[in-house]
Parts: sequence; structure tokens; C-alpha cells
Amino acid sequence: MNKDILLGFLHFVLIAAFQVFILNGLNIFGYFNPMIYVWFILMLPTNTPKWLGLILAFLMGFTIDIFAGQVGFHAAALTLIALIRPLFITIFFSGKDIETNLRPSIAEMSLSTYLPYITSLVFIHHFTYFTIEIFNFSEFFLTLLRIICSTIITTLLILLCDYLFIHKRKI
Amino acid sequence: MFVFKIYYGKTNTFFIYHKISYYFCTTKSYFMRNLVRFLKRYSHIFLFIFLEGIAIYIISQNSFYQASAITSFANQIAGKVNARTYNITKYFTYGSSNEALVKENAKLRAMIETSYVKYQHKAFQYNDTIYKQQFEYIDAKVIQKTISKRNNYFMLNKGRLHGVTNNMGVISPSGIVGVIVNVSDNFSLVMSVLHQDSRPNIKNQRTKISGTLVWEGGDYTSGKLVDIPSSIPLKIGDTIITSGFSQDFPEGIMVGKIKKFDKDKGTGFYVVDIKFAVDYNKLEYVYIVKNFFKEEQIQLTKDIKNE
Repeated sequence: MNKDILLGFLHFVLIAAFQVFILNGLNIFGYFNPMIYVWFILMLPTNTPKWLGLILAFLMGFTIDIFAGQVGFHAAALTLIALIRPLFITIFFSGKDIETNLRPSIAEMSLSTYLPYITSLVFIHHFTYFTIEIFNFSEFFLTLLRIICSTIITTLLILLCDYLFIHKRKI
Repeated sequence: MFVFKIYYGKTNTFFIYHKISYYFCTTKSYFMRNLVRFLKRYSHIFLFIFLEGIAIYIISQNSFYQASAITSFANQIAGKVNARTYNITKYFTYGSSNEALVKENAKLRAMIETSYVKYQHKAFQYNDTIYKQQFEYIDAKVIQKTISKRNNYFMLNKGRLHGVTNNMGVISPSGIVGVIVNVSDNFSLVMSVLHQDSRPNIKNQRTKISGTLVWEGGDYTSGKLVDIPSSIPLKIGDTIITSGFSQDFPEGIMVGKIKKFDKDKGTGFYVVDIKFAVDYNKLEYVYIVKNFFKEEQIQLTKDIKNE
């Protein structure tokens, strides 16, 4: 248990630092905004209490908000993700996966289970975030393009980081 | 069959009746227990509404420019961290910024003689008001910026203590940058021209026809001009400068050059693409423009509105 808390804290700091210091300064053709901090919520163990997930999501979003020089946008979008994540877990994962309280990662499950899970949640997050941030339906298709481009880059980045840093848990 | 049905129905109603009466007898305890169960089951929903409420409250508090207005506290912390980050990353950009400084030095050196003559003139006619100073410039460094978002802001390392206030214009050696939208003691936030609410007034240097600069997202090197009547011909490569009609910018600050233009037959206006004179990705040193007559100018328009 203590190990889980320590690991979670480490993930929080590392992912937030990666997002704030590297990805926020990145500009790829103006339409690709990678937001890897969503991964922090996606990788929580499947049996994490819902209230804990929500509070962690809010804290993470708020941290990113402060350093990105905006207020509330990331927090609002990520809290929504923490709310709907259990639903998506029941949709995409098998019963065995849910019971064993595993961390969703590519080491623990097949790509065909993992990819729809992260893609759909990342898409919902980006959709919410850009809708709130731009707050203007007159440029709907440009916004949609931005959402889709960003979803692709974030998903690829999560897969890459997952492949590099997350290993199968020893039992 | 018929009899059985009636009998079956009767038992059913009997049971229902029994249940209802039981409910009524112990309403209070049932109600409390159900309430507790309900709260337990949906506690995370309430937490969600609470947290989301905080987030939306914060956003709505700053809804004038949405993201622009950072609360002072967050601003201070982020400013400090970003200043430290800048201290590390500045070494990587010394080359290009040195080059820009050398260029600007050369430009200033070329201007010395003319300014010297002007100074003599001014000293000679000391009481003359022709040369009353209208604009003053405060130099500042960009310590944080975004260019990839739909609405982009730059943070500067000068704030209220250095005489910066809201709605001051910001320019760089090579052209227009934006307008100050939020100030804390040591830092200030610029709404750049890469923003949907930024609509500076501009004019064509050659034809003097004025219009408005807008940015529609995407590529940070090019913007759009609107409200330019299509009756006066344009040329590719025409220089676009600030018009000086708004109180924020002096006249003649570079904006960019015309890259492409089309006539919009429906409206009678041009749709013009321009290339910005400033590379916002490399932006480092800027000047904040202080207009001494701004209050007076604003007061003048206010008086008309009040009538």
C-alpha cells in the first residue's frame, strides 16, 4: 500500500514536470497539443476509490493550470475524465482485470484492449478541454481538427511512454 | 383459470398493501436509511459536482478574457518558477538573441545623429509644446509564452512595481506583440496578437487604408486582415503597420507584409493573408508602451458616450 502511494506520488511529479517544462513549450504545426498528464488518471489502479480519483484529477489539473498560465480548464476537463473512467473500465476491460486491481498499461493487457480505452478517454478529455478553452462555436471545424490532431499525438505519446517506462508488476 | 387469476391478483395486492403499510409505519427510519444509502452510493458524484463547481467558478471569475486573468497568487508562483526555468534555458538562445541585439544596436547607432539634432531643436525652443513626449517605453523580458494554443499569452518580468498597468501595448524591436491584460506586483501578462479577442487597428503603409488584424489559429507566422475595402488595389509585399488610432500603440509599428489576397465579392472587402514581422517563437525582449495621454483620450470618447 505504502509502495503504491509512493509510486503514485512519483508519477504525479514526473508527469506534471514533463507536461509543464517540456510539452507546454512544444509547438507542432499549431494544431498538435500533446497533453500527457491525462495518463496519470488513466494509469490509476482499476479499484481506486472514486473519490480519490476525482481529487487526484482535480489536483493534477490545477497544477497544470497554474503553470500553463490558465485557470480551471485542465482541472475541469480532467475531473470529468476521473468521473467517467470507471464506466469505461467496465466497458473495455474483462472482469478478471477489474478484480485483480491492476494498473492499466500495455505490459498488463493486449493492445486491442488498451488502445480503445486510452483513445476514447483522451478524445473526451481533449474535446472538453478545447471546447471550454475556445468557447466559440463559430470555428467548430478548426476546433475539431485541433482536437483530433491532439488526440492522436497524446495517444501516441502515452503508448510510447508506457512502452518505455512501465513494466509488468512482479507478483 | 379465472378463479386462479383473481386469487393471484388478490395476493399480489395484499402483499403490496402490506408493504405500503409497513413503509408508512416506519417512514422515518426507512427514510434516513435510504438517504444514507443514497449519499454513500453517489458520494463521488457530489464530490465531482463540488470540484467541477470550483473549476467553473474560477473560470467564470476570470471570464472577461477567460484564461488571461490569473489570480495574483498563482501568477507569483508560476512567475518565479518560470523565471528560474528561463535562467536555465536562456543559454540555449543566446546566439539568436545576441544577433537581434546587435542589429538593434546598429539601428540605434544610425539614429543617434538625427536624435541629437532634434534635441538641440527642442532645447532651443524650450517652451514649445510641439515635442511633448507622448510615449515612453519600459523594457521587459518574456519569461513564459505559448504560441500553439488558440489563444496565446506571454508573461513578462515587469509588473505593477515597474509602472505597468492594464491595456498597455507591447511591441518588440521588430514589430507588434500584444496588449497587457493582467498585472501583478512583479509580472504581467500579455494577450498576444495570436488571440481571438486581439483586434489591433492597422493600415497599409503605401495606401494609408486602415483595417483590422485578426488571427484564426494554427500557423503562428501568419495572420489575416479584415475590413479592408476592395476598391483600392493592394500589392503582394505591401508593408502593414499600426494605424495609431487606438491608444495602445504608437503609429508605424511593423505588423507584417502581405503574402496573399483575395476579393470577397459578397462583402466588398479583401481577405488578406500577411506574414508577421515578428517571429513569436523566438520572442525574448519586448518594450511596454506607456501612453501619457491615454487617460485624456479615453476621457474624450467617454464624454461622448455619456451624452
